[in-house]
Amino acid sequence: MKFFNKILALTVISLGLSSFSLSANADCGKARLADFDWSSANIHTAIVSFILEHGYGCEVEVTKGSTTPIMAAHYDGQLDIVTELWYDNIVGNYDPVEEAGVIRNLGINTPDSQQAFYVDRTTADKYNLKSVLDMLNPEVAALFTDPEDPSKGRMTSCISGWTCYTVNYVKQRVYGLDKYYTNFDPGSGGALDAAIAGAFAKKQPIFTYYWAPTGLMGKVDLVRLKEPPFDEACWDAMSAVVEDIKANGKDAYQPTCATEYRDMSLDKSILTSWEATHPEETAFLEAYSIPTATVNKLLAFYEDESDGDMELTAVEYLKNSSEWKSWVSAEAAAGVEGAL
Amino acid sequence: MIKKLIVYLSLPIIFVWLLITSYNASKWKPDSFSEVLADGRWLNDWPKWLDIPLMKWINDGFKVFNEEYGIYFEIVNNFLLGAILSIKKFLVMLPWPLVIALVVVIVFFSSGRKLGTTVFVGICTFFIGFLHPKFWDKAIETTSIMLIGILICVILGIPLGIVMSRSVKVRNAILPVLDLMQTIPSFCYLIPGIMLFGLGAVPAIIATVIYAIPPLVRLTDLGIRLVDIEVIEAAEAFGASRRQKLLKIQLPLALPNIMQGINQCTMMALAMVVIASMIGTRGLGDEVLLGLQQLNVGKATEAGLAIVLLAIVLDRITQAYGQKIQDRNKPPTK
Repeated sequence: MKFFNKILALTVISLGLSSFSLSANADCGKARLADFDWSSANIHTAIVSFILEHGYGCEVEVTKGSTTPIMAAHYDGQLDIVTELWYDNIVGNYDPVEEAGVIRNLGINTPDSQQAFYVDRTTADKYNLKSVLDMLNPEVAALFTDPEDPSKGRMTSCISGWTCYTVNYVKQRVYGLDKYYTNFDPGSGGALDAAIAGAFAKKQPIFTYYWAPTGLMGKVDLVRLKEPPFDEACWDAMSAVVEDIKANGKDAYQPTCATEYRDMSLDKSILTSWEATHPEETAFLEAYSIPTATVNKLLAFYEDESDGDMELTAVEYLKNSSEWKSWVSAEAAAGVEGAL
Repeated sequence: MIKKLIVYLSLPIIFVWLLITSYNASKWKPDSFSEVLADGRWLNDWPKWLDIPLMKWINDGFKVFNEEYGIYFEIVNNFLLGAILSIKKFLVMLPWPLVIALVVVIVFFSSGRKLGTTVFVGICTFFIGFLHPKFWDKAIETTSIMLIGILICVILGIPLGIVMSRSVKVRNAILPVLDLMQTIPSFCYLIPGIMLFGLGAVPAIIATVIYAIPPLVRLTDLGIRLVDIEVIEAAEAFGASRRQKLLKIQLPLALPNIMQGINQCTMMALAMVVIASMIGTRGLGDEVLLGLQQLNVGKATEAGLAIVLLAIVLDRITQAYGQKIQDRNKPPTK
């Protein structure tokens, strides 16, 4: 219950903070943006807000929170635009709502992202760990001993409740990792980051699931373990088992094949009712896409130079890049440039 | 007098020093200080250079601390984890009817043989597993983490309360710390907790102790100070030493308050369960979080109810014991 309260309070506060806006143009009216608790989403939201506000005269409202409550609000029609959608992780909840015509996937915002198993560089070099199969060794497992289950090593996994947690579970069993490692749920994204950062600070070995683009990825030296290369048919077969387990519990596991994570694109999502009244803005959102390398650079700028100021990061991008001008009308581009 | 003067003089000096170091450390300061004097615009919005670099200090300090002393935290971690695991193993090993029977027996005697309370608590315990078979082991996991947390609270909190009740100076020093512990958002210490102790139960226990200890300290302090001064004087008249006074008069008379403190401590510890599961602690909070992440209202509510039931069981046990002592201490009615 406390957790609910916290989220509610956070939402109310962030709504309150962001509801005062600058220029308002009668054309656009309100644009309610969803934002999440990780930096790459914050960057996209900041850039989109800036363009909507100054280029299209929208009254932008940003609501920030963790994935589930924010996505629930989006499905419910309370938030118009999601600027970064980890589609593969929420596919089970997202598809039915999209089929019902409430929301629409607007396509790529960052062309590729990685999800994989990683080991810290020092340990990987010392024990010559290159692929997940190299991990199938009791001596290697002993390096990562799980204090709560000392007979196994700990693989810090994805957050339980996210699809990737079950995917990791299936992969562990297919690769045979489950005999040597636990599938440890860190509980939340922040806790996973802290666990990785903590291991590096203490120079301890770590075996973890992680993803990019993230700010932390640029600061720690993690080696990606090789898995069987991505194969569509295999992925679909594995996904079927994953969905079955999510619905019916771990007993529903069946031997399947396994493949590395697809280097998936991150998407954008929009409320169809908002789209109907905002064709121009939707065209801009549809065209919006920033290369992964640029996002990584912006993440570094945000963390090291901007002093934690997301708007400054957005301005930095808009000033130094011209790709965004092809997404918007000349009129809107002039408005944005005027505000820089 | 001189002491006070030194304090009054040194405070402004420290403040000015802070201003100067903050200004010098700022990345955003103007090219020269005369610019600040000439251009008054910084008076409108809070200027970026007027910013104490506390964040950097804490981060740097924490980094060094973690690298230098990380090994000691490892030792604490392994010790606490061992304690939790053995309690959990023991409780999980017992057949569930036996655990319920044990709870019933404990309640029966701690409540002074009240039948109604005993039956009620027995039913509550049964319903934890009855809600979902998976909840039974999870509830035991949660309970073992909480028992360790409460034990640490009692070991640290009661002596601290006693010291506070004896010295105004100590009380004035500790009260703001208790305020801080009760109000600072738990994530502020959970994240460094993960870095020091690793993911799992131990940072959750530390967080539980930080969050749950203040009411126990406060109520112990209050309980001892509320002991009738005449009783103390009578004891002094009989030549009781400080030690005798504390152990034989003050503590027994303050016991109902202290029990209330332990009760509050337990309740606050349970309130941490869901937060704790966000840092990888197993237990009932897990299920709430899972329900939430899958947008499964029924699942989250079911698990939430199980936490409430666990709270009722623990509340009745501690409450009933305090009540019994109170009844015993009551002067006989005429």
